[in-house]
Amino acid sequence: MSTSVTASTSLPDSPRPSRLRRLSQLRTYTQNLSSSLPSGQRSYRHSLSRIPWRSLNSDSISPPANSTTLPCPESDHPPLSRYTSAPAPSYGFGAELNNQVSSTESAASTPSNDLPQTPNSMARLRSASAVHRPPPRTLERATNNSQESTPSPEPGATPSNGIEPTSTPAEGQVTSKSETKATIRFFPYQDSLQSTRPSLPFAPVARTLPSESCVIRVGRYSERDGVPPPNPTEPSDAPVGFKSKVVSRKHCEFLYVNGQWHIKDVGSSSGTFLNHMRLSQPNMVSRLYSIKDGDIVQLGIDFRGGEEMIFRCVRIRIECNRSWQQQPNEFNKNTESLIKNLGKGETADYSGCRECSICLGSVLRPYQCLFMAACAHVWHYKCISRLLHSPDYPMFQCPNCRAFTDLSAEVDDSNDLEEKQEKEPIEDRASNDSGEQLETEGPSVVEPDIMEGPPDQLGDLAEENLVNNVENLHLQDDQQTDDTRSSASPAPDSSTDDLARSATTNIPGWQPTQPRSVPSGRESQLRTDTPVRSETSDDNPLTPRNDSGPLAFDGRAGMP
Amino acid sequence: MGSVKRISKELTELTESPPAGIRVELADESNVYEWKVHMEGPEGSPFHNGKFLIKLSLPTEYPFKPPTVSFATKIYHPNVTNDEKGSMCLGMLRADEWKPSSKIAAVLQFARQLLAEPMPDDAVEGRIAEQYKNDRVRYEEVAREWTRKYAC
Repeated sequence: MSTSVTASTSLPDSPRPSRLRRLSQLRTYTQNLSSSLPSGQRSYRHSLSRIPWRSLNSDSISPPANSTTLPCPESDHPPLSRYTSAPAPSYGFGAELNNQVSSTESAASTPSNDLPQTPNSMARLRSASAVHRPPPRTLERATNNSQESTPSPEPGATPSNGIEPTSTPAEGQVTSKSETKATIRFFPYQDSLQSTRPSLPFAPVARTLPSESCVIRVGRYSERDGVPPPNPTEPSDAPVGFKSKVVSRKHCEFLYVNGQWHIKDVGSSSGTFLNHMRLSQPNMVSRLYSIKDGDIVQLGIDFRGGEEMIFRCVRIRIECNRSWQQQPNEFNKNTESLIKNLGKGETADYSGCRECSICLGSVLRPYQCLFMAACAHVWHYKCISRLLHSPDYPMFQCPNCRAFTDLSAEVDDSNDLEEKQEKEPIEDRASNDSGEQLETEGPSVVEPDIMEGPPDQLGDLAEENLVNNVENLHLQDDQQTDDTRSSASPAPDSSTDDLARSATTNIPGWQPTQPRSVPSGRESQLRTDTPVRSETSDDNPLTPRNDSGPLAFDGRAGMP
Repeated sequence: MGSVKRISKELTELTESPPAGIRVELADESNVYEWKVHMEGPEGSPFHNGKFLIKLSLPTEYPFKPPTVSFATKIYHPNVTNDEKGSMCLGMLRADEWKPSSKIAAVLQFARQLLAEPMPDDAVEGRIAEQYKNDRVRYEEVAREWTRKYAC
């Protein structure tokens, strides 16, 4: 990285004799830009963006202390603290505002999306911009601490608007989560009841964090950032972009803290809504809110009725904490052996997976086309096809457990699940061996013939694993520690089994009737109160009036 | 039609081994989509000893769309509309909560459970829900009286 920096900075001064040479240099320069190059990029952007920022600031933002249209920190602190009351957000807000005013470092206009050292970027942004805070070093330290080491930045601050405190419910999940990477998936969500206007369509996005301190940034899609693969097979914390004008460039972030996913508005102009509740006021950083599987996150509000695609808000259905389902558990092992024995005349009792829940007929009979989803539920292909070829394609929701699957997802043929089975007896592994292919991400139309022949390489699996471990050691340090930790404690296995057993009747963490730790009355009230469009925003004080449009809100309309 | 097959399967199952206090039959032998359900009021509730006639109609898209449940017998209950339709508000029957894997037997059992334990927070009859929450004695009195009047 440092070499590329020098290359790009030295470029303008060094005269080159040949034009061709210069061209190629220029190319490397731009390439460097498009790949990760923090400082060079910043200076480049900076020169571009400084002027518009200035002018905009003077228009709308710069007199924040006595402006009436825009909230100033002092006057707004009480309502803010009413629902944040954590130290971090308000002070982050101050820094953010400061940043906008001074724009010396103009880090806000820099989509620092490509920066490799992600966890620090936020802190750096703050420390760089918070000029009035005397020691920037300690400040950075402080933000780091509050973001990473503190379990939940609002320990005693269960706010009056009834969002649950984050730390306690997460405890149970920590054990089972620690063995797998933190994975989160975003699916488009269409509110079938309330809105007539569909939200922005997008391809499902999956992210697995390379390490727990990484942050997934969400903002407006920008050509300049390039398109990160929506579903990378390797762990990635690539930012997620949406092609909508109502999404701010830096809109919100997803963080994984203490085994629990959280969301945080990072000062978006048109708001981030978690289950229809707005997280913060315009251009303000919110505190962390814990999220769980099935939550709906909305970015922005439809502008001009969402007539045009580019003005539609984004509604995301969150899928997380589903790792128990993606690992070997009793249910999918059962299903796997059921599939393997198809046509062999064995009719052992495989409770829970022998019946097609659509036609209530048996799936055990051979010579039938079956479909198995990633959650290991099986149906006749004919019965389920209606749900497969739906308008939502490639999204598929399991009618049994409501797990979402991306039917267009790449086939995951990695064998990393083997490592987790090291503790299991060998004969168990024999039956699991072909199962691992079934338990992978993507769904598969199962043909019994294929399943008949499991690769017979079980003998040296343990050694193989060891070799694999050693080979991967330098690449995947974090994973390694995770794996050793998990193999040391056999507990997660049994817990996932329990979960799986109960999954046939009700799914933990998803059943809609499941009691929430949130006062649900309040939440459902919010659900109906939250306006979908800006026109109806009068009854909700948290919702901004979007009269002037997202561009004006964003304050970056003049940006190239 | 796949739905006919499934419905007749469920019907057979329900007639052969009916859940407690529930008896089902087709309203019209030639139409599997309209069911008549005879439900006894659960013990311990003010509807005990009452016999309620419930109409269950299945959409042609069943099981992908939920069935609808309505009380033909008048009933004093926060979750049943107090009109000639007598439609029952069941959470699991809402379009966005319905799962094709839910069976009619489960729906009916859930409905019977709702007779024993109304859900006033999910009510369609706000007045009755209010009374259920604040004046349980009076609620049970009226419910018992209605049961005697209409359901015996």
